Amino acid sequence: MIKLIFNICGSIGQKFLKFLSNIGHFFVFFVNAIFWIFKPPWYFKKIFYQIIDIGYFSLPVVGLTTFFSGMVLALQTYNGFTELNTETTVARVVLTSITRELGPVLTGLMVAGRIGAKMAAEIATMRVTDQIDALGTLGTRPMQYLIAPKIIASLICIPVLVLLGNTIGILGGYVIAIFKLEFSPNIYLYATLEYLQWIDIIQGTVKAVIFGLIISMVSCYFGFNATKGAEGVGYATTASVVISSVMILTSTYIITALFFG
Amino acid sequence: MKNKLNNKTIIEVKSLTKSFNDTLVLNNINFKLLEGESLAIIGASGSGKSVLLKNIIGLLKPDKGSIKINGVEMVNLKRSIKEKILLDLGITFQHGALFDSLQNWENIVFKIRNKEKLSNKNAKELALSIIKRLGLNSEILTLYPSEISGGMQKRVAIARAICGDPKVLLFDEPTSGLDPVTGSLIDKLIKAAVKTVGGSAITITHDMASVCRIADKVILIDKQTISWSGTPEDMLKANNPKIKDFIKSTNPKLFI
Repeated sequence: MIKLIFNICGSIGQKFLKFLSNIGHFFVFFVNAIFWIFKPPWYFKKIFYQIIDIGYFSLPVVGLTTFFSGMVLALQTYNGFTELNTETTVARVVLTSITRELGPVLTGLMVAGRIGAKMAAEIATMRVTDQIDALGTLGTRPMQYLIAPKIIASLICIPVLVLLGNTIGILGGYVIAIFKLEFSPNIYLYATLEYLQWIDIIQGTVKAVIFGLIISMVSCYFGFNATKGAEGVGYATTASVVISSVMILTSTYIITALFFG
Repeated sequence: MKNKLNNKTIIEVKSLTKSFNDTLVLNNINFKLLEGESLAIIGASGSGKSVLLKNIIGLLKPDKGSIKINGVEMVNLKRSIKEKILLDLGITFQHGALFDSLQNWENIVFKIRNKEKLSNKNAKELALSIIKRLGLNSEILTLYPSEISGGMQKRVAIARAICGDPKVLLFDEPTSGLDPVTGSLIDKLIKAAVKTVGGSAITITHDMASVCRIADKVILIDKQTISWSGTPEDMLKANNPKIKDFIKSTNPKLFI
């Protein structure tokens, strides 16, 4: 019995130590990546391609998600508030929910699913097919050539995507409010603009920057450290999406608490 | 292959030992590669040949021992200096390791473009001149690695390694997966590369015909260490059972 308890404790301890070791490993990768972001030369062509990939090609999925979220939010808020005769607050609820929370979080999750998985799979494939090793032997630093452009592009694109997503989400709420709930367009628009606050936009942008960092760092880390061939690529892809998503949801609470707590 | 050898040592490996976790892969490896020499490393799959190559080029760090390239100790060398030394080597990896996102011509001139500014036109011309030597035609230049056959990918990888005429060439199974005619072409190219630039080469291979065509010296890695070394002629007469097994798999006399 005592032996069994020792075995269980040993196993838990081993897992915990491995977890700590992984955290340390990630931290070293993080610091290294940040260093290479600022170290010239910068691969502008690669950064440009990443911006197109992350920004331009993510826009449809982010736009659709936030548009429908705005629509649902307007409808649900209206239904909930009808009993209280406060229909006019729909604009405010849609605006605040989208700019503070739904816009950044949905954008972050969508980009984590679309771009994070792609980054991790691409880098992991390069790792398991020796392409990253080859880069090192051809006078190129893999961190500088592969990782830095992805992080820079994420830090540029995700805040822009969040701002666009917020606008599209508010537009979704407007469409439902005007065409289904038959609100006056002028009153709805006036209410939206009246309640629009800089702090909400700043907070959403801060979240977007943090999410961009989380998605690119986590995805690149798992891709860069992939092992075991095709299985390793699969693991890196899944882990990057799951961990990015969990970190996005965790950090959104922390940032909200810092701003409004 | 008979080259005029100098006594200058290009690569020197001394007492190299490498293990992964508790598994010993290489134990007390010692050899020298002289200027103008072509060395073939043979051994069964999993014997540690590629691990040895990765230690030489600094992708793996040996547990013990010393690796010198042109007299410079590579183990624990500052990364920036190591990178400069590696730029003067031509290296191919076992599976080609071509960059998927780049067209073949970009792959071939990748290293040269890191060293000097080269316009796209000039770079393409340079890539074309190299692939012609390898029996490839110009159409593949603008294709991506995934759009060409495995054998062609191997040749593009060799083109990338020999671009810029490096003095030291390191090939990891350059002829595996190639048809005999193309394999023979690659061998001729390795010979020519060593001869024309007065360079040196280490080739890891299982192909005994290839060994006889290209090597001045052969070493066999078995049971984590160098169990035999000699010339290809010595190899054909050797009593080592592993060597005999390798020779049995083909008739290398035909290729000498």
